[in-house]
Amino acid sequence: MSQATIPLPKAMTAQDPAAAAANARKRKRFSRAFYWLCVAIASVSVVVLAVLLVSIGVQGHSRLSSDLIQHSHSELEPEQSGMRPAVIGSLFVCVCCATAALPLGIGTAIFLEEFKPKSKVLRLLHSFIQLNIANLAGVPSIVFGLLGLSVFVHMFGVFGTIQVNKPSGWELFGVEHYYQLLSLEPGQTILVPQTVVNQTTIKIDGPVEGIDADGNSFMIQTWDRKSGPKPDTREARMRTIKAGAVGGSYSKHAWYYFRLPFGKSFLAAGLTLSLVILPVIIIASQEALRSVSPSLREASLGLGATQWQTTRDVSLPAALPGIMTGAILAMGRAIGEAAPVLVVLGAAVAKNTGPENLMDSVVTMPVLIFNWAGRPQDVYQQLAAAAIIVLLVVLLALNSVAIYVRQKVQSP
Amino acid sequence: MPPTQPLGLPRALQKREFRSTSAGEFRERCVVVFLAACGLTTVLITAGIMVMLITQSWNFFSSEFVSPREFLTGSEWTALQSKDLKDAKFGIWPLLSGTLRVTVIAMVIALPLGLITAIYLSEFASPRIRSVLKPTLEIIAGIPTVVLGYFAILVISPSLQWLTAGAFDTFNATSAGIAVGILCLPMVCSLSEDAMRAVPSALREGAYGLGCTPFETSVKVVVPAALSGIVSAFLLAFSRAIGETMVVALAAGTRATATLDPRQQSQTMTGFIVEMIKSENEYGTVQYFSLYAVAITLFTITFGMTLLGQMIRRRYQESYQ
Amino acid sequence: MKFQAPTIVFCGLVSLALLIGCDSKPKPAVKAVEDGDASSPASTLVGAIKIDGSSTVQPISDAIREAFIKIHPGVTVTVGGEGTGTGFKEFYAKATDISDASRPIQPGELEKVNAAGFEFLELPIAYDGLTIAINPENDWVKTFSVDQLKKIFAADNPAKTWKDVDASWPNQEIKIFSPGTGSGTYDYFREVTAGKGAMRGDMSLNEDDNVLVQGVAGNKYSIGFFGVAYYTQNAKILKAVPIINPEVGEPFLPTTENIASGKYAPFSRPLFIYINTESLKRAEVQTFVEYYLENVSSLCADGKVDYVQLPDDLFARTIENFDNMTTGTHFVDAEGNQRSGAFADLFTSENLQSK
Repeated sequence: MSQATIPLPKAMTAQDPAAAAANARKRKRFSRAFYWLCVAIASVSVVVLAVLLVSIGVQGHSRLSSDLIQHSHSELEPEQSGMRPAVIGSLFVCVCCATAALPLGIGTAIFLEEFKPKSKVLRLLHSFIQLNIANLAGVPSIVFGLLGLSVFVHMFGVFGTIQVNKPSGWELFGVEHYYQLLSLEPGQTILVPQTVVNQTTIKIDGPVEGIDADGNSFMIQTWDRKSGPKPDTREARMRTIKAGAVGGSYSKHAWYYFRLPFGKSFLAAGLTLSLVILPVIIIASQEALRSVSPSLREASLGLGATQWQTTRDVSLPAALPGIMTGAILAMGRAIGEAAPVLVVLGAAVAKNTGPENLMDSVVTMPVLIFNWAGRPQDVYQQLAAAAIIVLLVVLLALNSVAIYVRQKVQSP
Repeated sequence: MPPTQPLGLPRALQKREFRSTSAGEFRERCVVVFLAACGLTTVLITAGIMVMLITQSWNFFSSEFVSPREFLTGSEWTALQSKDLKDAKFGIWPLLSGTLRVTVIAMVIALPLGLITAIYLSEFASPRIRSVLKPTLEIIAGIPTVVLGYFAILVISPSLQWLTAGAFDTFNATSAGIAVGILCLPMVCSLSEDAMRAVPSALREGAYGLGCTPFETSVKVVVPAALSGIVSAFLLAFSRAIGETMVVALAAGTRATATLDPRQQSQTMTGFIVEMIKSENEYGTVQYFSLYAVAITLFTITFGMTLLGQMIRRRYQESYQ
Repeated sequence: MKFQAPTIVFCGLVSLALLIGCDSKPKPAVKAVEDGDASSPASTLVGAIKIDGSSTVQPISDAIREAFIKIHPGVTVTVGGEGTGTGFKEFYAKATDISDASRPIQPGELEKVNAAGFEFLELPIAYDGLTIAINPENDWVKTFSVDQLKKIFAADNPAKTWKDVDASWPNQEIKIFSPGTGSGTYDYFREVTAGKGAMRGDMSLNEDDNVLVQGVAGNKYSIGFFGVAYYTQNAKILKAVPIINPEVGEPFLPTTENIASGKYAPFSRPLFIYINTESLKRAEVQTFVEYYLENVSSLCADGKVDYVQLPDDLFARTIENFDNMTTGTHFVDAEGNQRSGAFADLFTSENLQSK
């Protein structure tokens, strides 16, 4: 067949070159316009971030001082308010969260990536776990908060409820029970070790052994109006109480005080947050493990190492920077998360110290910001902005560590 | 990312004495069991959530004043307002519509902005611009939501009121929606960008070779090729917006309204849960347990969204090998 | 391998942080005593006190707490503001030592307390004027009568717009901000405006009075009510409405004098603390309540908290009840019905109903 017999496609013959050129110009113009639209819209995010940072900076700069991180929240003198307990509290919650979430998350990732199943049932289990993790990643954090409330705070009521005036729940260790008595010296108290469990008060009629604030034990003297004047030295008054005085129970908690249920404690908050960030850690660790070159693994296996030895000594070290980056970013998420903590601990912010034992309650930075931001007074609005600046600086520091780790690995 | 640095001989191989003993095998087995237990814990968490939600919301649904039909179709929600159980109305629609209003506004902002920014990043941006834009988006993604809530009441809501001469309520769906949109933007952007970068450059080159303009290449070739990834990014952002709590707790108001007016207050499902928890309104009453009914609705919706997203990704994912 | 070291270091750091952090708690001032300084010995009082209840009383308890823990640093005081109803619920579940209340205990709650098997002290501590606040740009409302408030707040046929309340007012929707149903403020307001009936359902409720203030300050057509303290702190961005006293027929603003003299009726009310007598056996609770009663009136008088101190004769009865440990309530009669009437008439020893 000769070429001449094939007619040119109609589209090519019927086209007016001028129209085609005009069309091309139009399309080019359109494309150019689209390009500038892209530039404009892409810069929106930069503008938004700038507006956000500037407005918060303007609002909060006047409250940025060392007072902010040295004082605690104050109702009487809002100007003196600070966020020291919140900073410490966030740190504690975060550490607790990391200790729970990291082993669990990395373990799951290793299980999913390194121990590929051979049987069909196991393969099904694997893909089920995988799907489940994807779903967990989409669960709203407040639902995790509700879970934490049932599981950690109340423990389904299995161990009873927390009450005042008597030991409640299952106190496992770290607690000593005393009776506290007021001595004749104002403001000075005497502790009497509790001997009978569940007897919440004690009435002192005769001499009993007690201990003072320094831990020295001595015999408590009693005094009443009939027996003459009060002892005249301060030391004696500190060791004397009114005859017939009643002492109420006081529980001294060591830092490792442990009780079930956890109640509104930082442990409960940390564990709840660990549920929130668990999917994030798993997914990041999986990515990191997946990017380890298979040849390394194969070499190790080929040389006779077992699967776990290969994982422990080859894959995991190679994936560690990626896992660390993911873990640090997840920690950032945990520090900034407010909703689950709000559900678990409530919105109270009046606390002057960080947690003093495992069962102590805690204030975290986002909850404090939430509380301050909800108040109409200017002082608190400024404080909220200043606290936000502190929080953002902390997060930024965390992120730069993550970026540093990543870059250190990427460029030899 | 494969480490470019040579790793040296793995430690396991440096050990001279490498023996396979029965104790070693036992240890190996223990490790596998431990790792499997870790994996199963995640399943346990999901199961725990479901058990908790179902048992707790049973306290709500088993009340004689509550009917599941009214719950699903009723247009009044007064769990917080009605002290008397007889007067209380439990219809989820005001909360659901409040959530949808905020979410729709958020999506109107996040989807186009996120998608176009992603197109720009993957198709046009020079490395220098990328090096500015990417960290910006990462920082926005890392901003705690309570901060965005504060931003909404500090900046967005007053500006809206100022622009419209006071037509907006102090707490309104729009300002919360905008803040949630800002929150979702980086997520939409980075997931869509990943999907678009996975499209092989041969496709782009082919399109350019046929005379396509950059616009036509990116919108008619690259975006369709990456569509499954983009759609699942949209769905993820959607479920994130539905589940967002702190922004709406601060900025959307506490009145459950069944209206389409975005200038009004709109309590969302998450906002209601926070408010109920905070007030601890009569712990143990039907009104209190209604929060679990709301939570189970929320959970069902987000669960469905993620499942759908997973399915779309698996089913329609184009692979170019 | 080179990555092994970071793992160990990291794990070590984590556990170390946990240990150090827990140990490095701020040392209680007990140590200060050891260092000498016998002239002003620091208190060795230790313990934990739990308070919850009305968010109206919370500022007083918070203020007392802050001053108290400066003197007794070993004592932990937690003050919640979940609302009077919730406060009582925790009180009879024995989860709190002290319950803040902006209304007297109700018969149902009293039954629960009796069932729980403990007794309590009922101590009035101050007066509060419930303030009805509007936006400062609102120029049409000059005074409110109780009937007008009924139209706005009661559930049957509530006014949708300002015009529905008074024909000369603008035809704009009323936006209402109210404290949550768990609060005594809500209960008290409901009693006055709706009697036994319900309040309307389409108000914005929030347990946090600060949020109500923001809501009212942010919109010209809004109205809200809360304790006078929240109004005084935000007087710049709010406007209080004078309320026409139904007996005198003249409007009065919620000022200190008007509240103390009873002219600001029917919206002035007493505030209470309820104390579990079992807890009162504990030295720290006893000291705290003593400190509370010693300082609450001066706190009010100095304007540290924006409430009105009780008249001397009434406050003397409060102190007398505390000193004699007279338990029971004045507001529920022997048949278990709520007494009604002016506070000063009810707060007498004849009315005291002990278990």
